Amino acid sequence: MGNSQNLPANGTENLRFGNTARFTAVMVIFCVLFLAGIILNINIGSVSIGTGDIFSMLWKGCKYGIANIFTGGAYSEKLSDLMRASTENQIIFSIRLPRMILAAILGGALSVSGYLLQVFFRNPIAGPFVLGISSGAKMVVGITMIFLAPVIGSLSSISIILAAFLGSLLITSVVLVFAKNVRSMSMLLVIGIMVGYICSAVTDFCINFANDHDVVNLKNWSMGSFSGANWGYVEAALLMCIPGVIMALLLSKPISAYALGEGYARSMGIKIKPFRVILILLSSLLSSCVTALAGPISFVGIAVPHIARSLLKSSKPLFVIPATFVSGAVFCMFCDLIARTVFAPTELTIGTVTSIFGAPIVIYMMIKRRSGRED
Amino acid sequence: MNIYFKAEDLAVGYNGNALISDINIELEQGKILTMIGPNGAGKSTILKSVTGQLELVGGTVFLENMKLGDINPKTLAQNMAVVLTERIRPELMTCAELVAMGRYPYTNMFGKLTAEDEEAVREALERVHGMSLKDRDFMTLSDGQKQRIMLARAICQEPKVLILDEPTAYLDIRYKVELLEILKELANSRGTTIIMSLHEIELALKVSDYIMCVNGDKIAAYGTPEEVMAKTSIAKLYDMDQAAFEKWFPHLMH
Repeated sequence: MGNSQNLPANGTENLRFGNTARFTAVMVIFCVLFLAGIILNINIGSVSIGTGDIFSMLWKGCKYGIANIFTGGAYSEKLSDLMRASTENQIIFSIRLPRMILAAILGGALSVSGYLLQVFFRNPIAGPFVLGISSGAKMVVGITMIFLAPVIGSLSSISIILAAFLGSLLITSVVLVFAKNVRSMSMLLVIGIMVGYICSAVTDFCINFANDHDVVNLKNWSMGSFSGANWGYVEAALLMCIPGVIMALLLSKPISAYALGEGYARSMGIKIKPFRVILILLSSLLSSCVTALAGPISFVGIAVPHIARSLLKSSKPLFVIPATFVSGAVFCMFCDLIARTVFAPTELTIGTVTSIFGAPIVIYMMIKRRSGRED
Repeated sequence: MNIYFKAEDLAVGYNGNALISDINIELEQGKILTMIGPNGAGKSTILKSVTGQLELVGGTVFLENMKLGDINPKTLAQNMAVVLTERIRPELMTCAELVAMGRYPYTNMFGKLTAEDEEAVREALERVHGMSLKDRDFMTLSDGQKQRIMLARAICQEPKVLILDEPTAYLDIRYKVELLEILKELANSRGTTIIMSLHEIELALKVSDYIMCVNGDKIAAYGTPEEVMAKTSIAKLYDMDQAAFEKWFPHLMH
């Protein structure tokens, strides 16, 4: 072995903690892609709308919308006039725009949710979909739709989110019980997939006892799609996901210490138990929002944080969390664009598109980890 | 000299069952206590108990007259740092970043490093001769380098008492000696109290102010290296055949 590590230390050398320039560059690139995504998403479709028109309409919409909030509703008439002014306006404001915003928020939230699970399990291949958590949320939402909706009438988006949240927590605790006994990360994956299958089986079982009307609703939703988007959904997503992501960002300091293992984390002053509980609650909240509003979406939770980390060449949570959110938003916007346009008028489910891009990344990660293993 | 670290009638073990009891330790600032004893004797259990990682079965640990259980986690972290046996695998983290984690109990809620924090990182890296490793990814280091960086992280925490569980395991003889010299220097210059476990008896006798022999349900022997060597048989401590011991370690006989 060489002796290079024992060269005399140079006292004037600067210490670097995380590459801020790289982080800025990555964020700028994703913001540009985000803007491109907005234009393409609004522009492309069965009715194509010019870029200039899009911006003038959006500008007016933003102006009236913000004015409406600050004046307490004085501009609501102008806003609704604008939305109904022409067919183009209607298409933009009631179909494409909410759908795009929803895809962006939920894509970002799902990615951050996956990131939090990876922190929790110290395993880069953890995510809400592969661990069966999305399927668990789907199961409880399914049961609620079939057996509860006929009793209490229609379900609000918040109550669906609540059902999904309960389902997520239920399955997370099941996975946690198993995870205690397995050390290897591929075994954790296998357990998650099996638990996911069990949940899907229970969901299918329940569908057999449902009446046709409920099943149609459930089928559409359970395939996973942003096509049901409306402003109510966007509002619900904003209310739940943005505070969730901010909370995650506030946790970035303990997250970075937790990466060194529980022993070291505790010795640096982290209260491990409450920290772990908050991680799981936060991750479940974010992923259940997504499952409730758009159905189960596969692989985004693993693939996006991996992309973010690789681009940043850092695992510093203060960098990774914002980058994960933005790249998740961009990823889902483009996946949704592909889902609704490539085989138009047939729409693909969002999971179909995300799997095609996401699953190979997971396979690549597993192979890389195996070959890079020391013990 | 003031007693900085004190353990009184300590009983340690798992799930409320005492494995070892009647442990009494009194350490002044800047002293080094080393535990020796066979594998599985409970050295790690004692270390985990005095750091608060494991609940005490009985007795009390005092840091400067404060009871261990009464100290809030942040204050404890500013006074006590550890180097553990568990091997960590942080992804995409440079050595400077890892060492800077030692500033955790001092930084603001986003972990922003002040000039003072950076100075502490630099000093810690220099103490372990690790400045040239500062931008390397931690996972690409050799075992010896990794251990030095983990030590730098603990030093960077500026503890009054430093606790190390088998810090020299996996290291070759040169790194073992280097590591112990760094510890000795730390105890002398900063007055850091050091408690550790070692497998190398000869090195333990040389570096330590106090030796504790751990075997069985009580402490087998405790005192200065000379005292311990005078009244205990190392062969017996490790349950070794006397003849074999004499053949291999004639210099440890008395």
